[in-house]
Amino acid sequence: MQSQPPRRPGELIFTLAMVGGSLFLLWSAYGIAGFEALSSPGAVPLVTTAVMAVCGLLILRDTLRKPAQTSETVARDILPMPVVVTIAMVGAYALLLKPLGFLPTSFLFLTVLIRFLAGYSLPRAALISLATVALIYLLFRVVFTVLMPPGIVPEGEILAWIKALFAGKGN
Amino acid sequence: MDILNSLLVPILDLKLLALIAIGTFAGIYVGAIPGLSVTMAVSILISFTFSWEVYPALALMIGIYMGGVYGGSRTAILLNIPGAPAAIATALDGYPMAQQGKAGEAIGIVTVVSFIGGFIGIIALAVFAPLLSDFAIRFQPRDYFLLGVLGILLVGSLSGESLVKGIFAGALGVGLGSVGMDPLTYTERFTFGTDGLRAGVSFVAVMIGMFGISEGLMQLHTVNTPSVKQKISRIVPSWAQVRKHLPLGLQTSSIGTIIGALPGTGGDIAALIAYDHATRVTRNPEVPFGKGAIEGLVAPETANNAAVGGAFIPMLTLGIPGDAVTAIMIGALFIHGLNPGPMLMIEQPDMFWFIVSALTLANVFMLIFGLTGIKAFVKIVEMPRAVLLPVILLLSIVGAYAVGNSLTDVYWMLGFGVFGYFMKLYGYPLGPVILGVILSRLLDDNWRRAIISDQENLWMLLKGTLASPLSLVLFASVVLIFLAKTPLWGLVFRKKAA
Amino acid sequence: MKQYVIGAVAALLLGMGGASAQTYPAKEIQGIIQWGAGGSTDTVARAVTPHAEKLLGGSIVMQNVTGGVGAIGLNKVADADADGYTVLFGAENPLLYKVMKLGDKDYSDFVPVNILARGTPILVARPDAPFNTFPEMIAYINANPKAVKFGSTGPGGLPSVVTAMINSKTPIDVTYVPYDGDGPALTALQGAAIDVMPAVLGAAIEAIKGGKMKPIAIFDVAGAPQLPDVPTIVSTNPEFAEMLPWGPFFGVFVKKGTPDDVVAKLVGAYAEATKNPDFTALIDARGFKMLSLSGDAAQAFLTEWQSTTTWLIHEAGLTKASPADFGITKP
Repeated sequence: MQSQPPRRPGELIFTLAMVGGSLFLLWSAYGIAGFEALSSPGAVPLVTTAVMAVCGLLILRDTLRKPAQTSETVARDILPMPVVVTIAMVGAYALLLKPLGFLPTSFLFLTVLIRFLAGYSLPRAALISLATVALIYLLFRVVFTVLMPPGIVPEGEILAWIKALFAGKGN
Repeated sequence: MDILNSLLVPILDLKLLALIAIGTFAGIYVGAIPGLSVTMAVSILISFTFSWEVYPALALMIGIYMGGVYGGSRTAILLNIPGAPAAIATALDGYPMAQQGKAGEAIGIVTVVSFIGGFIGIIALAVFAPLLSDFAIRFQPRDYFLLGVLGILLVGSLSGESLVKGIFAGALGVGLGSVGMDPLTYTERFTFGTDGLRAGVSFVAVMIGMFGISEGLMQLHTVNTPSVKQKISRIVPSWAQVRKHLPLGLQTSSIGTIIGALPGTGGDIAALIAYDHATRVTRNPEVPFGKGAIEGLVAPETANNAAVGGAFIPMLTLGIPGDAVTAIMIGALFIHGLNPGPMLMIEQPDMFWFIVSALTLANVFMLIFGLTGIKAFVKIVEMPRAVLLPVILLLSIVGAYAVGNSLTDVYWMLGFGVFGYFMKLYGYPLGPVILGVILSRLLDDNWRRAIISDQENLWMLLKGTLASPLSLVLFASVVLIFLAKTPLWGLVFRKKAA
Repeated sequence: MKQYVIGAVAALLLGMGGASAQTYPAKEIQGIIQWGAGGSTDTVARAVTPHAEKLLGGSIVMQNVTGGVGAIGLNKVADADADGYTVLFGAENPLLYKVMKLGDKDYSDFVPVNILARGTPILVARPDAPFNTFPEMIAYINANPKAVKFGSTGPGGLPSVVTAMINSKTPIDVTYVPYDGDGPALTALQGAAIDVMPAVLGAAIEAIKGGKMKPIAIFDVAGAPQLPDVPTIVSTNPEFAEMLPWGPFFGVFVKKGTPDDVVAKLVGAYAEATKNPDFTALIDARGFKMLSLSGDAAQAFLTEWQSTTTWLIHEAGLTKASPADFGITKP
């Protein structure tokens, strides 16, 4: 046998999660319609999850065969600080989007993340963020009328007011 | 004479010409920005052009359609985020090129071959529309199913180092595609009783997450190394280069036209099957597939633009949409007081020739706009990554939200972003996941229709398959390609060659 | 610049004051379409709304929220504030959600703004099918059990209801091939993947005129002016008359609890919009019957429709719960 690359940190856990997940989904697929008929809505899900489970077990076998020693560490090669912070920021964004609204959340998100990743001064990061958010807002909200969660900023009313102004009906 | 007159309408009318140009230009950006889709833009245009005459309204829509299909390749190449599902295959080789500093070259070749593909689709529409629609309409559920199987075999070429991991990823994708309420029987699948899962997983959200977010997170490892300098001296490909890839381009354009003309499939599936075709017929690519092969750009980009002309074939001959965009255009025609159906071409042939002409113009504008301003576009990837990455993340989030105005989609996208990041770290290919999601409905729905039509009897299904010439050809292709991709065949083949 | 700021603040205060008829609409109204872009509901909604917008003096942003047989879109509107800024464009399906266990909300959680139009079912066959009339079809099916393929679109859809009607009078043994909408099923019919499809008239008119489909019978007591030569089902089988007329419909709805003056403004706008000649022409060309019902008439229409249809499909064994469980009275 050829010398294999060593197992990466966390690889075994991930593989086990994949196997566990596949088996769970297989069970769930069986729950859709059992082995009722070849045409049942559960037929294809049953096949796909079975394929996943079998492949998952094969991958597990290969993973177990790999040498466990490695010079890699979780903190450096798997989840370095920038990745952890970014995932946390993105998660926070998703949670705050609804209550706070699109404009403030996006602005805060970009400013903090650019400041952290690029090390720019706060005003510079804020300026870049402002320009980007303005551009995205203009494109998505004004041109494509994608109604973002307004949150604390009543931008819908402001926009309608500005439009009315242009239409010459402003009061 | 009448035909010539209709063809000349958009060329001679400056207003129509301008609308097609504006549409194409806007379409390129609509296509390029993930979350903004041609479908969405054309829907909005229905309200926007409500009080217009039908020709100007169509001119704008056609421009957006043509430009949008092409535009998806931009972000696929530059950022590894396909702007639209039809550009997924383009990212596979386009993004590696950008990482090698060859983004300009990639965009240049993509623009030219998109033009060629688009043109072939239009010719097919103009010359063979009745013939092709007659052929396309005859596809039976089992044929669609076989086409789906043909597509899923692409997992073999997308898997990279580990085939098992590739198959795992592909199966995961097909499974993901079946989440939600089954549209055929309204049975809930993998919803675990939650409302958020009932609508299913938006595949644009999965795509943006798996490609965009996971790539962004990956690049954070090297956030402080300078970005790759892009060589932008050579943008317009040389004639020799175009000619070299022309035979492949013609084949994949034909694939694109036919798959586009099928009422059940569109440009996304066309591009993937064309990519698979390229991996098989290209004997010795200068650069391996997946590492920046020009053939890997030529195939999907000719096919998805050829599919545009293809999609109009059933729409104009039978009133049957070839894809999601033509479905909306049919609605638009109704709103404008026309009745698209088999009689449209007989009663109003001018409409047919007007669309052919407008498509041709949009295709030319696409070439012009595509080849200008590449330098500025390419500069985007030269921005410091520490600034670019947060902006991409925000754009991805907004894009995922815009698809369905749904926060659930945003959560999915983020979940898949993080999941995709781990998959990448541990050597799982992500391409098969997206492939699976795209093909899931095609496979699942048509399998069930096929087996129901044959009384749940596998033997009858097989007999039916062998009795129909079309099914037989598809079945034989599936078997041959499958054998060609398994190690067994490799052994036999190599022995003979030696 | 100063003016803008003052205006913005003014707008903000107005917005906080809540919706009332004087200021409504103070911002864009979100219009949620239950079904996909390009479908019948979508086309009708997008065709009538621009006329209503003009009368309302505001814009309605149309958006397709699909999935879960329309339940996702319906729930989205039901979960929004009852302020008239989220409007639902829906079809008949929600009235069956409860008995089909597809959701616990239906139009009883909404106020109908306008029941726009009703569709007429028609039975169509592939052009070379070995029968031309309804009795011939039944005879052929009886002679060849399971051989004829009927298209279907999931329990509760128009094909399932029409099939339930047929089964209740003339039981048939056929194979049902499922599709995700009548568009794809009618395409399959033209490719001979299925033999017969119960569809809405509008979706089949053009293909019938072009000779790509064969009309078998119109499921109504009166014929369709768009297809004068096609017989009605009652002309050959009068026993069907008691269940007819029946048909899918489209309507505009807002959440229950929306201020009365806001509802009144919407009702007025849509009632006027349905009179627009372009819209009436579209409704006619698509083979629909204009209803334009609001208020009590709309409510009565919904109640009657729900009672007829739920009991019909319940007796055909297609439901997961009895209509009686939800207080739906038997017709």
